[in-house]
Amino acid sequence: MTPDRSTAPTHPLETTVEGRLFTPASSVLELRAVSCAYEPGRPAVQGISFSAREGEILCLLGPSGCGKTTILRAIAGFEPVRSGQLFLSGQLMSSPDVTVPTENRRVGMVFQEYALFPHLRVQDNIAFGLRHLARSERAVRVQEMLRLTGLEGYERRYPHELSGGQQQRVALARALVQNPVVLLLDEPFSNLDPDMAGRMRQELHDLLRRTKTTTVLVTHDHDEAFAMADRIAVLNQGRLEQFDTPEMTYHMPATPFVADFVGQADFIPGTVSQGMVHTELGEFPDTIECKDGTAVVVMIRPDDIHLVPTKGAQARVLSRQFHGSENLYTVSLPSGQIVHSSQGSTSIYQAGTTVEIRVLATHTVLFRREDSTG
Amino acid sequence: MATIRQQLASPLQLLALASAGIILLPLGYVTAQALSADPVVWRRLWATRIPELLFNTVSLAASVAVITLILGVSTAWLITRVEIPGRRLWEGALVLPLAMPTYVLAYVYSYLLGFGGPAEHLWQLAAGPQARIFSPHSFWGATLVMALDTFPFVYLLSRSALLSMNVSFEEVARASGVSRLATLWRVTLPLMRPSIAAGIALVVLYVVSDFGAVSLLRYQTLTYAVFQQMTGRSDNTAASILSLLLVVIALIFLITERWFRQRSRFYQTTGRYRAPERHRYGRLGTLTVISYLGLIVGAAFALPASLLIQWSLSPEAQATIDNRFFGFVWNSAILAASASTGGVLIGLPLAYLACRRPTLLNLSCLQAAYAGYVLPGPVAALAVLILFTTVAPVFYGSVLILIVAYVIHFLPAGLQSLEPALQHMSPNLEEVSRTLGLGMRDTWRRVTLPLVRNGFIVAWVLMFLQTMKELPATLLLRPVGFDTLAIRVWMEASEEYYQLAAPSALLIVLLSLPALALLVSKDWRAA
Repeated sequence: MTPDRSTAPTHPLETTVEGRLFTPASSVLELRAVSCAYEPGRPAVQGISFSAREGEILCLLGPSGCGKTTILRAIAGFEPVRSGQLFLSGQLMSSPDVTVPTENRRVGMVFQEYALFPHLRVQDNIAFGLRHLARSERAVRVQEMLRLTGLEGYERRYPHELSGGQQQRVALARALVQNPVVLLLDEPFSNLDPDMAGRMRQELHDLLRRTKTTTVLVTHDHDEAFAMADRIAVLNQGRLEQFDTPEMTYHMPATPFVADFVGQADFIPGTVSQGMVHTELGEFPDTIECKDGTAVVVMIRPDDIHLVPTKGAQARVLSRQFHGSENLYTVSLPSGQIVHSSQGSTSIYQAGTTVEIRVLATHTVLFRREDSTG
Repeated sequence: MATIRQQLASPLQLLALASAGIILLPLGYVTAQALSADPVVWRRLWATRIPELLFNTVSLAASVAVITLILGVSTAWLITRVEIPGRRLWEGALVLPLAMPTYVLAYVYSYLLGFGGPAEHLWQLAAGPQARIFSPHSFWGATLVMALDTFPFVYLLSRSALLSMNVSFEEVARASGVSRLATLWRVTLPLMRPSIAAGIALVVLYVVSDFGAVSLLRYQTLTYAVFQQMTGRSDNTAASILSLLLVVIALIFLITERWFRQRSRFYQTTGRYRAPERHRYGRLGTLTVISYLGLIVGAAFALPASLLIQWSLSPEAQATIDNRFFGFVWNSAILAASASTGGVLIGLPLAYLACRRPTLLNLSCLQAAYAGYVLPGPVAALAVLILFTTVAPVFYGSVLILIVAYVIHFLPAGLQSLEPALQHMSPNLEEVSRTLGLGMRDTWRRVTLPLVRNGFIVAWVLMFLQTMKELPATLLLRPVGFDTLAIRVWMEASEEYYQLAAPSALLIVLLSLPALALLVSKDWRAA
């Protein structure tokens, strides 16, 4: 993971989401308040704004049906834009009045199931969009891509003679050989088995860095987004919830939805008085400056909760899930509130063990109670 | 996911609308003619012909349905669940009767069962010189011929139901202590029910719209009556009324078939496929099974085919194979080639739009194209005839009118292979071509067409071969003196010149075999 340090804000809460939306013209891809709808009156995505700089890898992250694929297809020019504008390299591509045809946008796309032309060999698939070049030039470019993607020796095969990972590399080569302005990847790892997906993730990341390709990647898997992205756009029900670095998205989620979606989170109810939040797990600083008596929830991740087995303590272990590198405990507080705690692989406590709970948060995230979906 | 292809929409859309219009217009004219007919004509028909015709049609359909049910299900079960020598061979042989047009089988059986024919001779040897068997020109004759010709529909659908059925259902029943026979009755057959019903509906649709067999066996059904009204009395109004009735009946069974076929998908729960265990019978059991299958295949295909070969080799038949004969072949080929080319050209935009832009309009256009299914040959001919005499009488008696009737009649057969070919092609393939800088037209040329080419060819071949053996529309619409192979078979057979009809009939059967292979191989999986 190589996050773009220059974009990481010094203090998370000083930089609002909007603050970075309308970046200067240097951005390769820019969406301004884009909405799309399959049926009028029922927008699939609404008011989406973000931008990508040269060579940046963006992830669109969200549950299925959140509209992330719609955004990808709008960038490619497959879906018209109902309102807002979409720019590629500073040029207007989509608006309610204008839709530049896909073939004139110079976008590269890798579909979920790769969409390799079954009637063409690997080399002809890769050379498909190079008709305007001379034959010799074409061969050189294809060879170069074959080498880059490690497909040498497979150029005369047909797609059905390749493994899933090889098919994906062909699809990638076919898109990259065009030198696209932006590369679009739709759930690229969902058709691979987990082992292969992990390896391809690393390979793809290296390749994109080496070719300095600006990339938009759609996924519903937060681990994949964390591993690949410079910045992540979290979407929910057609709206952008947060646009930030992976670290910020995880540690400083902007909404309870984001907090919950990018990893396990517990929401502990509390009340503000005199600048502190009072909860069952102790007191936390009030970072959102509420009036006294405001009902809030504190988001805590399992890795910030530590358990110490203590006779006579009030919290009790309900169950343990072994994950290999860690144990995930479900713990019941005296009030009945459930919290989760991640402990080392070798810390094994039986169900029913009474435990003391220590919160080791260096930072806490607060939400007003009515926002909470927790 | 709705994909926007505005540029593509307009010209193709117009084309599709026009095609749907051409197909629906004749049907509309027939309906209009029937509904606007003088009530006196309706009353006369209701009082005289319709009750008898309806009774004949329905009783023939019912008796054929019962016999095909027994033949089809039993053969399917034997093939999939019993180990017999030469199983693969039997499996394919049971489909062969579909290659026999009904008029060919009818003509062979009117010889076999006819007065002084071989069957009567055999019977008289056993039962005395005065004994008679039932005449082929009767209800039973028509039932026998139609059942032998159509039972493979039930066989095919039952067979694939048995093959795709999750064997675990049967194993669970056996594990619960249910006997083998009771398992068949309580588990296997109920699970096959939708497939069997779809097969029976197909059989009924076929029987109701058949012209060839009933006309040669002189058995009065609605379809035959439409033909007679048009030729004998030149009464197109009465023919329209009977046609309307026929279309309604056919529509009912078409919808029934679709409905059951859809349900059968739910019944055939997918699971990991495992070959069912096949029973092994003793020597006597195996012999019984083989004689049963042999009897069916023999009666429905082997015996008629060998008779045709024998007749074709006779000197009388050899004498007819001259330039005139090749003229008929040529006529048939030219007609079939133009009809199938026209059908593919009309079918492709319809199928493409319905597949890629499934709006209500486009789906209706496609459904309109399937209207040919409910138009028995004489009705299609009548419809086109009425349309042309009203709109463009110039073409009356020309080949064009015949080709239009063929296209309307056989377009559904073509669409059935065009549609899946397009559906199997992911729209992503076209989209990815656009991201690689190709425009709409280049994408069609370099991606869509190469990928649907096979479906395209299959559709063409199927329509070609179906048109080749079409009988009633050709009889009614052909230009004077323009005979085809099918016409020759029917004419010679009507006059009981069995030998003279044989070469044309044999050629038709041989040409039908590749069409059958194409049709069946689409979702064939050997048992």
